[in-house]
Amino acid sequence: MVRLVFSEMGAEVTKNLDELLQQGLLWRGRNGPLPTARAVLPSGFERLDESIGGGWPRGALVEILSQGPGLSLLLPVLAKLSRKSRWLAWVDAPWLPYVPALTARGLDVSRILLIRGRDANQGLWAAEQALRSGNCAAVMLWPRSVSNAQARRLQLAAEEGDCLGVLFRSRKALGQSSTAALRLEVQPSGGKLEVQVHKRPAGWGGRRLLL
Amino acid sequence: MMQWLALYFPDLPLDVFWSGEESAPVAVIRRQKGWDIIDRCNASARQQGVRPGMALNAALALYPGLLLHERDDKRERQRLETIASWAWNYSSRISFDPLLLLLEVGGSAKLFGGIDVLLEKLRNDPRAPAAVEYHALAPSPGAAALLARLRPGTRVRRTENLQGVLRDISLAHLTRNRKLLTLMQGIGLSTIGEALELPRPELARRVGQEAVLLLDRLLGRMPDPRPLWQPPEHFQQSLLLLAEIDQAQVLQFPARRLLNSLSDFLHGRDAVTQQLHWRFLHREAPPSQLEQGMLRPDKRAEHFLELLRQHLERLQLPEAVVEMELRVDDWQAADKIHEDLFVPQQHEDQGFLERLRARLGEEAVHGLRSVSDHRPEKGWGFREALPASGDAAGPEEPLKGEGNDPLWLLPRPRRLPQRNGRPWHEGCLQLSAFSRRVETGWWDGEDVTRDYYRARNPAGQELWVYRDRRSGQWFLQGVFE
Repeated sequence: MVRLVFSEMGAEVTKNLDELLQQGLLWRGRNGPLPTARAVLPSGFERLDESIGGGWPRGALVEILSQGPGLSLLLPVLAKLSRKSRWLAWVDAPWLPYVPALTARGLDVSRILLIRGRDANQGLWAAEQALRSGNCAAVMLWPRSVSNAQARRLQLAAEEGDCLGVLFRSRKALGQSSTAALRLEVQPSGGKLEVQVHKRPAGWGGRRLLL
Repeated sequence: MMQWLALYFPDLPLDVFWSGEESAPVAVIRRQKGWDIIDRCNASARQQGVRPGMALNAALALYPGLLLHERDDKRERQRLETIASWAWNYSSRISFDPLLLLLEVGGSAKLFGGIDVLLEKLRNDPRAPAAVEYHALAPSPGAAALLARLRPGTRVRRTENLQGVLRDISLAHLTRNRKLLTLMQGIGLSTIGEALELPRPELARRVGQEAVLLLDRLLGRMPDPRPLWQPPEHFQQSLLLLAEIDQAQVLQFPARRLLNSLSDFLHGRDAVTQQLHWRFLHREAPPSQLEQGMLRPDKRAEHFLELLRQHLERLQLPEAVVEMELRVDDWQAADKIHEDLFVPQQHEDQGFLERLRARLGEEAVHGLRSVSDHRPEKGWGFREALPASGDAAGPEEPLKGEGNDPLWLLPRPRRLPQRNGRPWHEGCLQLSAFSRRVETGWWDGEDVTRDYYRARNPAGQELWVYRDRRSGQWFLQGVFE
């Protein structure tokens, strides 16, 4: 609608555009999706989707707190994203992803980008670049350490690059506040995964489920 | 008809040095009769009262912090060659004179739609490595050079008009031959016009044949052959830093100039490169080297610079840098079609991956591929994280793992100690399930026969281990979630 008005105004466009921007009346696409139409990526687990507002939030940061497991929660969405053209970046992963196992779960490994920094800062830097670049559909980071300010930067970068950002942290981080849009705690429980939702967009956390 | 365009760069002796800030007063000196004389100085030095021709002592008394260097013929020539690389776009017949380039543009003018168009284009070329303020056009190279120095802006098209234009110029500019000058002054000649008024045999008899030849060449009556410049095969250029640099990051500023030169060199040849060699020279320590490799060949200075910045973040300098050098050995013709058809998305990829690699190192960024091999450690491989190269080769038919394979693999199987006959990893391992037997590899001499198990340690970690059936040794190879 706005665009239509512009074409009629002809030469006045630039001036009026600036005015609108200054007054905050105009929303610009690169600032991320409209708050009302929050984009989600179905997680592949119906019950998880119900508990986190429809799926993994797109263009946002997710924190997964666990002592190890967590990746398997993401495999369905990674498999789906690997069919598209953007990269799936794994930054400072604790080990190598095992290619045949990922392939067996439908993931196209040619979209995987393995990145390893030599220290905590390099990993954070690389993750931020990857999130912001717009070249990655998902960026997963296993940080050696991360401060709240750094996590906040990652959140902003994820918004800017329209990218699913996943931060794997130790369960000890539960005590810290978080700027992530979604925060899950994961632990193994008798061959299944127990997931506790601590924080979610547009809703209350607190739900616990077994997957 | 030959038309020579002369481009004169009076500030070139200053331009060959890097002085740090623009505002630093800089001067170059030359020795004259045993004295150091200020040869040229920049605007900041002039503000301090320093003037060309001043004795060095006098200049230093005015401004003790003056940055100084002797004039450096070698670097001046190098710089001229850089400019020539750019000028090559306008003419392939280029010759040098001190601080001056001579381009024969009579031949190439047609390509541009006339000399005026060519000149207009050349003078407003945003790629010009140095401002083209002093120029002149004339039918002889000598006259063009003379006019560019003394009457910049002059354009003489016809040989017969030369005489009138050159008439008032002092004979001192015709030759540096002191003896000849004295002879001519001795018979009352001081300008070119006066010498031309004498009949030629008379002039030859009184001051010698050389003067006649000089004048004939100047006026285009006799050919004036000049050695033509051949563009070099390789790019190599150095920059002396008048202000030493001890922080690697700061090197990007002088580097820009070298990269601009390189970019001109490449543009002049319609070429691209993907490997830059940098050398940073110190006073004592051996030179620091930096290899700047790129995923895709390029010729844009901005692009080179952006990647260099990332490299510099990792560079450790043992000492301050006093001089830097850029060398390019290999370049290739730019593939125009490739460039134009390049998909924007892929182009983005390049920049993103290059930034990562430049900062983290080549070894830090990889793609993955599957390999048909039942030995887990050989069932995958790294690949160049370049979409184009990876897809062109075609992925190998992936070997699908089994549903109960672990998600994580150790880079290399790790041998586990045994206690009481059982494998040990941060505690005694409980084998919870037999995974499979792998017997393969007889064809490459690395044959294996292994039994894989799922195991759990006291901390609750689920591990993928195997027993080598020949040696009985246990190994840890993967981690479950």
